[in-house]
Amino acid sequence: MRAAADWIALALVMAWVGFAVAGPVGAGAIALAVLLLRGWVPVSTLMALLAPLGVMLPALALRQMAAGMGVAVIPFGSLELVVFLLAYLVFLASAMGVVPVGLYRFGYAPVPVAVMVLAACGYGALSGQVFLPIVAVMGQALWVMGWGSSNWFDHVLHAVLVPVTIVVLILRMV
Amino acid sequence: MTPLVLSILALAGLSLCLSLWAIRRDVPLNWRFALPEALPKGGAPRFETLLDYTAPEGQAHAPAIVQESGGFSVIWFQGSAEAQPDVDIFASHITRDGDAWQASAPERHLTRGALADAFEPRQLVVTLGNTIQNDAAPGHLYTTAVSVGGWAMAAIAEVAMGARGPVRASKLNLSPILNRSFLVKSPMLAYGDGSHALPAYFEMGPTYGALVRFDPRGRVRDQRRMSGTGVKPIQPMIVPLDATRALAFLRDFDRSGTLWLSRTSDGGQSWSRAEALDMANPSAPVAALALGDGRILMAMNDDADHPDDLRLALSRDEGATWQEVYRFTGEGALRYPMLRRVGDDIALAYSTGGKRGIRVHLFNGLWLAAQ
Repeated sequence: MRAAADWIALALVMAWVGFAVAGPVGAGAIALAVLLLRGWVPVSTLMALLAPLGVMLPALALRQMAAGMGVAVIPFGSLELVVFLLAYLVFLASAMGVVPVGLYRFGYAPVPVAVMVLAACGYGALSGQVFLPIVAVMGQALWVMGWGSSNWFDHVLHAVLVPVTIVVLILRMV
Repeated sequence: MTPLVLSILALAGLSLCLSLWAIRRDVPLNWRFALPEALPKGGAPRFETLLDYTAPEGQAHAPAIVQESGGFSVIWFQGSAEAQPDVDIFASHITRDGDAWQASAPERHLTRGALADAFEPRQLVVTLGNTIQNDAAPGHLYTTAVSVGGWAMAAIAEVAMGARGPVRASKLNLSPILNRSFLVKSPMLAYGDGSHALPAYFEMGPTYGALVRFDPRGRVRDQRRMSGTGVKPIQPMIVPLDATRALAFLRDFDRSGTLWLSRTSDGGQSWSRAEALDMANPSAPVAALALGDGRILMAMNDDADHPDDLRLALSRDEGATWQEVYRFTGEGALRYPMLRRVGDDIALAYSTGGKRGIRVHLFNGLWLAAQ
């Protein structure tokens, strides 16, 4: 189940790239290629590099592709993105030992995870969007079921979000 | 109430149910160490060299001892050079034949290709590194696997071994940085409830040692750090002194020239800032074994004038002072020791000739006492 979830997630993320280049046909072709060519070195390298993919990256991919096909989505505000980026960089720095407290380890424990998921739901209610609550709860469900990482943060965050967020912010400035 | 608020309330309700399930299922970690069994005092002093192997070409390095019924195995990584894409894990199986021990010819034990196929999900494995026994699951290993880049991009994989090689493998979830830069070296640590913890280390940037705890399903449940100031502490070798106190001897990745120490007095939940010991160390890992009653046996390269020599030393006062038991010498550096109990005996494995070969000795407590 773990492998299946990761392959579907990788197919969706790569479909996002295909969608950007060639629209829905490109998305479908790349997703299919990823699923059929799992043993091909470039594909297994991508999996080795990006796993665990979690929920956030494929959810963002689906959301962006849906927006590209005309579905109305509420974009994240620039201030939201800046705050997220700064907080996430602190989180990554703590994992590298730059910050004395290791924040990542709270993602293994059920009580801190429960608090963080409810906080995400509360933020969704305040900001009027359901995307973050869906990702947080889906990530919690996979985490509780033991499908994928044993750390909840791996389900709802991904290091690739750093360059993605920076690119989005730069594109909004130019 | 708007549909949006209703849907978020539904999600929050689902989350509460999931949280209740997770909290009820969660087994609190036991933080009391298992104490080592005392070495038997009877019999005659005994010291044997069971394996003295030199790789036909390239390197053979970082041996680990795998305890098995009826004997033990020694596993190491071997290839043209460390971190190259032709490195596999080799093994020699050492079994008792009457009063004698027999070591099998070294052979491939875990290959990159077989590990790539066993991964869930399947993924590329470029090279392999330090590999140790998973004491919590018979026949399982923890290996350092690199899929992209070098050691700083390594990950620890839990590998279930079958008769013909790996049957299932998955990477431990230890870092949010693409799950990278964690490695293993030292054997696992036993807790009083029968669980085990994995000493590991993070090798990117500042670096730190870590103690990894697992849940009953073998998934990572927690990790605690051993850090320091002005040092890059890696490869923790943890020795329990009693149920709650332990020492972690640490190699400095930055070549400060000394060995470092971190202490715990709460079963590994917290560790003191690493402090420099008055013991020379050429940025090499040490092996140590608790013998009970405050006695610790250590294999280390602590002679500043002869850093390639491997010294076996004994402390009778919880590591405060050390007395040389034996000195191993040879051509090239003797490095990466591992000490483990094998029944009533102690096995010592290390690499020889500057990563060119593997040597394994077996001795008993009476031999130690006679030195």
